[in-house]
Amino acid sequence: MAPAERASPRGPRLGLAVWLSLGWIGLLVFFAVFEGLLPIREPEALGIRTGEVEKYEDPGWNALFGGDSRGRDLFALVVAGIRPALILGVTVTAIAAFLGTLLGLVSGYLRGTVDAVTAVVIDIVLAFPVLVLIIAVRATYGNSLWIFIVLFSLTGIPGYARIVRGATFSLAEREFVDAAVSMGATRWRVIWKELAPNIALPVLSFAAIGFAIVIIAEGGLAFLGLSIDQPTWGQLISQGASDIQRHWHVAIIPATVMAVTILAFNLLGDGLRELFAPKEILTQRRLHAAGRHAPGDRNAVLDIDHLSTTLHTPNGDVHAVDDVSLSVAPGEAVGIVGESGSGKTMLLRSIVGAFALGDVTRSGTIAVEGVDMIRSEPSTISATLGTRIGMVSQNPLTALNPVRRIEHQIIEPMLVHGTATKSEARARALELMEAVGIPAPERRLREYPHQLSGGMRQRVTIAIALANDPSLLLADEPTTALDVTVQDQILRLLAQLRTERNMALVLVTHDLAVVKGFTDRVAIVYGGEIVEEGPTDRIFQAPRHRYTLALMQSMPDLDLPSHSELTTIEGAPPSLIDRPIGCRFAARCPAAADPCMDEHPTMAGDESHRWACHFPADVPAAIEQGGSDGR
Amino acid sequence: MSVLALRLRTIATRAARLLLVFFVVTFFTFFLLDQAPTDPAVIRAGLNPTPEVLEEIRAELGLNDSLVVRYFRWVGDAVRFDFGDSYTVQGFTTWDLISEALPNTLELMVLAEIMAIGMAVPLAIRSARRPGGLVDRVSSASAFGLLALPSFVLGIYLAFVFGVRLGWFPTIVDNLPSIWSDPFGNLRQMFLPSLTLALNLVAVYLRLLRGDMLDTLQQDYVMLAQARGLSERRIMWRHVLRPSSLNFTTAVGLNVAGLIGGAFIVEILFAINGIGKLAIFSITVEDYPVVAAVVALLTVSYVMVNLAIDLFYAVLDPRIRHGAR
Amino acid sequence: MAGSGSDHLRDEVVLRVEDLVVQFPAPHGETVHAVSGVSFDLDGGETLGIVGESGCGKTTVGRAVMQLEPATDGRVELHGDDLTSLRGERLRQVRRDMQMIFQDPVSSINPSRRIRDVVREGLDMWAEKDGPRSAQLVDEILVAVGLGGDDVGERRAHEFSGGQCQRICIARALVMDPKVLILDEPVSALDVSVQAQILNLLEQLKQRFGLTMVFISHDLAVVKNVSDRVLVMYLGKVCEIAQTDQLFDAPTHPYTQALLASIPGNRLGLPPADELISGELPSPLDPPSGCRFRTRCPHADERCASDEPALVEHQPGHWVACHHPQAHLRPRGDDQAEAS
Repeated sequence: MAPAERASPRGPRLGLAVWLSLGWIGLLVFFAVFEGLLPIREPEALGIRTGEVEKYEDPGWNALFGGDSRGRDLFALVVAGIRPALILGVTVTAIAAFLGTLLGLVSGYLRGTVDAVTAVVIDIVLAFPVLVLIIAVRATYGNSLWIFIVLFSLTGIPGYARIVRGATFSLAEREFVDAAVSMGATRWRVIWKELAPNIALPVLSFAAIGFAIVIIAEGGLAFLGLSIDQPTWGQLISQGASDIQRHWHVAIIPATVMAVTILAFNLLGDGLRELFAPKEILTQRRLHAAGRHAPGDRNAVLDIDHLSTTLHTPNGDVHAVDDVSLSVAPGEAVGIVGESGSGKTMLLRSIVGAFALGDVTRSGTIAVEGVDMIRSEPSTISATLGTRIGMVSQNPLTALNPVRRIEHQIIEPMLVHGTATKSEARARALELMEAVGIPAPERRLREYPHQLSGGMRQRVTIAIALANDPSLLLADEPTTALDVTVQDQILRLLAQLRTERNMALVLVTHDLAVVKGFTDRVAIVYGGEIVEEGPTDRIFQAPRHRYTLALMQSMPDLDLPSHSELTTIEGAPPSLIDRPIGCRFAARCPAAADPCMDEHPTMAGDESHRWACHFPADVPAAIEQGGSDGR
Repeated sequence: MSVLALRLRTIATRAARLLLVFFVVTFFTFFLLDQAPTDPAVIRAGLNPTPEVLEEIRAELGLNDSLVVRYFRWVGDAVRFDFGDSYTVQGFTTWDLISEALPNTLELMVLAEIMAIGMAVPLAIRSARRPGGLVDRVSSASAFGLLALPSFVLGIYLAFVFGVRLGWFPTIVDNLPSIWSDPFGNLRQMFLPSLTLALNLVAVYLRLLRGDMLDTLQQDYVMLAQARGLSERRIMWRHVLRPSSLNFTTAVGLNVAGLIGGAFIVEILFAINGIGKLAIFSITVEDYPVVAAVVALLTVSYVMVNLAIDLFYAVLDPRIRHGAR
Repeated sequence: MAGSGSDHLRDEVVLRVEDLVVQFPAPHGETVHAVSGVSFDLDGGETLGIVGESGCGKTTVGRAVMQLEPATDGRVELHGDDLTSLRGERLRQVRRDMQMIFQDPVSSINPSRRIRDVVREGLDMWAEKDGPRSAQLVDEILVAVGLGGDDVGERRAHEFSGGQCQRICIARALVMDPKVLILDEPVSALDVSVQAQILNLLEQLKQRFGLTMVFISHDLAVVKNVSDRVLVMYLGKVCEIAQTDQLFDAPTHPYTQALLASIPGNRLGLPPADELISGELPSPLDPPSGCRFRTRCPHADERCASDEPALVEHQPGHWVACHHPQAHLRPRGDDQAEAS
């Protein structure tokens, strides 16, 4: 078997900004280490006016950053401030990160009392006025760098502990922790071997930002006159601030050095974060149209002709829907069957033009009751979407807005599209709730989605879809997330509503059994294409495409005796980025031969039943005689 | 079993925990201040007191009692807003000083939050609608830059540009007129300090809200709203904003609490007579009753705001209201 | 339904679970009755399928048997030793004898570790890492689960598909040489074609290593394919337990019939599902008295509300917990021909 079925995405890399930041930090370290060896004015110049630099001298060749209020070389002062900043930052970050991580890991994994106590302690430290603490400690122990290190470390711990605790909480829910426990891992082994490696990067990333926070905190204290007994940037800024009216450089230059340093550490932290939590793909949400509208069947409620949908991603163009043609007559039920990654959901989303984030191009034709859904005016498309099409999605738990009442969600499409007044809409909402079989509809209308079971929520989603009496209902895996007894109810409900309202239904599913009893025609999709399409009965009796056949055979069937070996489809579906030249199924097909690899098969068959296969499966003799007249 | 009763119980538990926080923090502060070398009796007695006089004052002020007794006496007085007399500002009680400074601080806080929220929400919505678009890239980069500018740096920049170079706003708050009698004059003086605070907050709010909105945008119900032909504006404001604002609310609340306790640096930088400046001044002159009162104020606002956030969560999200989450 | 009772338990078995009760505290002082008196046993080399809908407690049973969830009451005996009373180090010692495969294969593998280290983790933990032997064992097992190849061990979980991750999880469990393997919905996150691969693999491994398995799933067809015996659960109780063929040829508990009738196509000649089951699943916070299925059962009467039915043997090896067991014999003939 191939070692990796999934193409590894472009590996995470550090961007230019991170390298520039590292460069700046490197420069600071260089100055801090070689301060004494560089041709910089004597450190003694910090205290004494040497006369080499004028008071408030402007920046120039004599003094790169100019002179300060006492005629000291500002450049020398800024350089002298690097060491305390770095020492403070490094030690505080190391101590706080280590102790905070430890605390977060232990309280996040063990939970219970340990966690409750930690939470209260963190609350106290967060509420504690650090200023008062610092003042009190200074009064007793003086204001050396080491006192500040202790104080800053103590106050820094909660930040790390909270982040690590949160991360540990969600990691500990993952099954690999259960697996380790099952193998006999001790608590400490779980913490060190399973959890700690997974939070190392988040902590490192937060530490870079924490470093910046230390520098900011010291600067703030210096500004308040509460700093350490060494020259720091904060002191320079604070001293310069009062002269800003006449001599801008004494405050602005050290402030800028500090800001650039903070920025560098923030950028570094952000860059590290992207290594473990890649940023969402920053492509704009955009819908492009390509090609021309070529309406075909005017009587069809849905007419798709040569539709291709391409998602433009940083990893390349994903050809999610590839030259698909499909037509749905009024009142007809069509099933679209495929495995995950086959493009079946994208086909449905292309019809309504609703994609999550991303840059998408649709080409070809989608017509709903004759309206071009790709190129029409936005208002026309909105009106068609709202009044002619209803849509039901896979997961009833996320299909409803959690913070709004059911009634609100049902009447919204009617009010927005102006199909009913508010009171009419309310009356209609009640009718719809009854129509989809929800008991006690008046009460349910006033409730929120979380107060309903999964099956009931799916009924509500259907009720919303029916609000404007659509002629086409699009259902994307409407029962996949539901239990088998509830699935049966929902499928019956859809069938009943369809007949009552003479509504066309497009049912997308991965489960062949679902389409069997509930659709007139079925299309099998693989690798973004329709590989076979025809009357449901015909396809189940005599599938012609090799993929359809294999898919049917690999389903465990109640009619098979137990322990019977299942037919498998080896390998994995093709990439939708680099599509195979020939038949998309060739690599996994038992019947594949030469032309399959190089030649893309074209559709064969007749008007009602068509397939794209070089070596279609045989039709069983019995069926060929009895049922060849089609529909 | 009423939903309200459940909610009250949750809140009571939370309140008990926050009360504990209050006592620990104030007691520890009290203890720390008690360690300081300043002797209240000496201050009260004036110049060259005799040991007898000092002892008399000590007895009168109850300074010979144990720390715990004195602490609870202080708490008992504090609930009646009696924090004792200021050591340094003769003839003023601590509460006089605080009630003089508090309005300025509150005004600063309210202005800063209004500006910050007013900028962050529309920007976050625009950014989340078009991630990677111009608005998003500019505002994200600016937010990132602003995060690198601590308020004392940002304040200096703003004062330099708008105060010194352009001369539009004063760089120092001086003789601040009441906002009721001269709103224009008041706002003109308070503009730069509020903006300094607001710009720092905007950066935080924008990043939080934008991130959470992008998560919400991935939800099925947003896709379905699009499929129902609802306008993008309606989807963002009606369907996406509210479910995405829990973290944002927390951040706003904690910042409000922090700012009530004084925007120390901004108040010093722009010379605003607020709680922060009062605290720093009292610390420098060792006026400990004032310091203790400011700490109490800060802790109480932390506790109250935390409770308010909890209550507001329930308003935002019915799942929390019903204890389902 | 809702049977309690342990008359159906046999002697001399590998795993024996008796009157297992698992409850969780819910907010506001309530209790979730996740599992309320479940008994079953498992003979060496046998596969027991546990089937039921969400909320029936099947996953909790698996986790409680594994001691990942503390049992509120009841016994879990492995070779006659009760595990529920063990704590700390002694529990750790017996844990290695049972291993579990989880529903989400990707989340079951530590993302930061290499596959070789993941698979050999059990050996490392028990200090059986005498270099070449354990390395060889790991390689052998990886080949056995269909993941042979030079560099498989050097990769990390994110480089593998869901099906491959599940193979890795199976390899990790097999390295421990477990006496009992518990599989919790091992194929429900996978596509049909991959699902068939894993089911076939499990069957091969069962032959080769003589595995004893508990196979938990919501999918009746999958359970039928892998199981020797099947147990049907509803709301924390056992409805029916029988040999696989008995259960699918003559489902007797009304709930079992409703489940089978709900499968699209309803091939077993049962009445439509909506005639066999109505209403919604009651809350596990406050389960119905008597038979727990009575609120949705077309045959329920007063007795069902007052008396809890016990498991009774209807046919040899076929136990049903119902006051009104419904005989149903699956029709033979046309259906079969069509399928083959």
